[in-house]
Amino acid sequence: MSSQLIKITTSDEETFKVERSIVERSVLLKHLLSDLEYDETDEDAEPIPLPNVRASVFKKVLEWAEHHKNTNFPDDEDEDARKSAPIDEWDREFLKVVDQEMLYEIILAANYLNIRPLLDAGCKTVAEMIRGKSAEEIRRTFNIVNDFSPEEEAAIKRENEWAEDR
Amino acid sequence: MESDNSLESSVSSLARVNRDTNTPAYNQSHNNYHHHHHHHHRHHQNDLNDFDMDHDDSELNLRERFGQEPFQHDEDFYNTNSMNRLPPEILLQVFSNISQKSQLLPLLTVCKKWANLVVELLWFRPSLMDSTSIKGITKVMTTDDTFWDYKSYIRRLNLSFVVDKVNDDFLNLFSGCSNLERLTLVNCSKLSHNPIVKILQGCSKLQSVDMTGVKDINDAIFNALSENCPRLQGLYAPQCQNITNEAFLNIINSCTMLKRVKVSDCSNITDDGIIKLTENCKLLIEVDVHNCMNITDFSLQKLFTDLEQLREFRISHNPNVSDAIFKYTPEDMILDRLRILDFTGCIRITDKSVERIVQCAPRLRNVILSKCLSITDASLRALATLGKNLHYIHLGHCSNITDFGVTTLVRNCHRLQYIDLACCAQLTNTSLLELAYLPRLRRIGLVKCANINDSGIIGLIQRRSYDDTLERVHLSYCTNLTLFPIYQLLLACPRLTHLSLTGISVFLRDDILRFCRSPPSDFNEHQKQLFCVFSGQGVKDLRKYLSSMYSETNEIGLPLRGRERIINDELNIQAERFFRGGIVNAPAFQQLLPQQQQQLRLQLLQTQQIQQQVQPLQGPIDLNQINAPNRIQVDNDDDEVMGESD
Repeated sequence: MSSQLIKITTSDEETFKVERSIVERSVLLKHLLSDLEYDETDEDAEPIPLPNVRASVFKKVLEWAEHHKNTNFPDDEDEDARKSAPIDEWDREFLKVVDQEMLYEIILAANYLNIRPLLDAGCKTVAEMIRGKSAEEIRRTFNIVNDFSPEEEAAIKRENEWAEDR
Repeated sequence: MESDNSLESSVSSLARVNRDTNTPAYNQSHNNYHHHHHHHHRHHQNDLNDFDMDHDDSELNLRERFGQEPFQHDEDFYNTNSMNRLPPEILLQVFSNISQKSQLLPLLTVCKKWANLVVELLWFRPSLMDSTSIKGITKVMTTDDTFWDYKSYIRRLNLSFVVDKVNDDFLNLFSGCSNLERLTLVNCSKLSHNPIVKILQGCSKLQSVDMTGVKDINDAIFNALSENCPRLQGLYAPQCQNITNEAFLNIINSCTMLKRVKVSDCSNITDDGIIKLTENCKLLIEVDVHNCMNITDFSLQKLFTDLEQLREFRISHNPNVSDAIFKYTPEDMILDRLRILDFTGCIRITDKSVERIVQCAPRLRNVILSKCLSITDASLRALATLGKNLHYIHLGHCSNITDFGVTTLVRNCHRLQYIDLACCAQLTNTSLLELAYLPRLRRIGLVKCANINDSGIIGLIQRRSYDDTLERVHLSYCTNLTLFPIYQLLLACPRLTHLSLTGISVFLRDDILRFCRSPPSDFNEHQKQLFCVFSGQGVKDLRKYLSSMYSETNEIGLPLRGRERIINDELNIQAERFFRGGIVNAPAFQQLLPQQQQQLRLQLLQTQQIQQQVQPLQGPIDLNQINAPNRIQVDNDDDEVMGESD
């Protein structure tokens, strides 16, 4: 029955009720539902625990899945199509407005829940943010501490300069 | 399909490392749910494909790396705002979206965590393309005390873009790259076997070696492969005439994962070897034994029976191959995967074999039967049943075949892209006009089809679309051809990159031969005199030259072969193009006189109006059916209406 919803509890103990078709965007949950023979028509069905995802993040993931309810994504196995596809415009906006912390959380959740298209969009978004920046700019933008000594840095540059643009 | 497997395995082993270290974000769940991911990373397109990798291949290397640089979380990991809270396998996925090496370079000095990932991407397939990168890489390879052990990161080595630089010393630079998975030495003709044997030492992960064009392929190389490379899947060793049967047997006894084997021109390989091959290497999908004269029906019959998954099979010039191959194969044999079959010069193959093989292998895509002299139209009728699956057919020297056979074939196989009918001397313009209706045709070979003449070429052009797909046209020794239709062909085929007109007297004049490419150095004087082949820029220049020549001729009103006829052909072709592509700016149109252009515009306008009232057009137009005033009479050599469209 389409009116029946699946109960999912996040790490911070918030319980969501979600349509099966939306839940099944997550390959992890899809397999889980079938392994558990989860029956959403059963009023007393235990909620599924999601110990690795916070409510605020799960909300975003659901927002994404809701938007892509009718999207046909390229086959997971079709590496070429997935790699070469540009970031979906809606996804780009969706990921642009969140702060970095949330962006990382979304990527981690997409990875954990196994939602390939969301993970791809997240990774591509980050790759776009990296591209064209110097090492120092990257460290500043992404809050990374430089753990190389100046000598090490110089050696690495020297040994890899063949890869520079000419 | 194929994947860039070693990165995949890097990701999975990284994931394993990551789990071992018990990351805060993941520490609760892994025991609860089995969580399986397919990580595919594929970004190096040019290498050989189709090699499946074992997932554990790269693990050792990564363990070594993390051993040397103990994996532990830095403070960034606990900073929720830092990208370094992302685990390595996700960072790797992020980085793999950055395909240019120069854009990866800054990432290398961000921090150690990134560097360890990026260095692997950077050296996975070092780009040996130009002298600067070669110099840089050479320097690193010859330095003892580098920051990383770069040799261990090289998975693919392709020297075929720098063959001039490749000698024994150069290849020796790379010995010790023990994680090598693909070694490509195409056209490295200066190499002796020594550095190849040396580089193979310890390469237990090697999957593919391509020695096409290497001159010194010998037993030492085969034995090194046997001893070191149990995972070998691709062995490309054409012209390995010095290989002994023993060395061949060694390799097929040790490397049982072989999928693609190319060992040509070797008369030491016998039925014994082929039978062992089919027994030991059950994964084989490609077998190329061109010119291996001592293989007979006996082993091939077993090969076809046992290797159901076979995709490509090539043998040539083998007098032992006959219809008997299929005499004892099981009645219900299915070769559903077979796509490419090459029996060049196996003169004992007859229609019987072709009929049988087409029956077993309904999805054949490329069929090469050149110099199978006994082949008749019956084979073409059989091949016609392949329908849209057939894309490539070579029937050169099959001189029994006639227009009837070609017509049947072409009308059924409308996705043909490549057709060669060289020396099929019975063929006439009829065959050529049939070819006109193949919408994807890219290459036509009609060398020495002396019945082909001008009206055949004009007819071909008239029936094809404005944006013609033809790229290569071979008309050498079609001695009846003259200049004008060739000029028209050049105008009609904007993608033409190759046109051969050797041995046709009218083209052997200085003003035209200026654009001809130089004959092969091993041609004798006589051959050089007849040579007339245009390629690349030569085609463009010839087109330009003929355009200027013909526009002058028109202006001064000196017809080359009946001015009316020229104009008629011209307008006719232009009109047809307009229909198909809506193009008025075709170069040929610009060559017309102003009043001709005006006349054509008028005509096109009228016919366009008619067109809008009728249904959309799918094929060529017969202008005779269009009831427009001032209609220009079409030269009707042939009234055939279109073949099927796609």
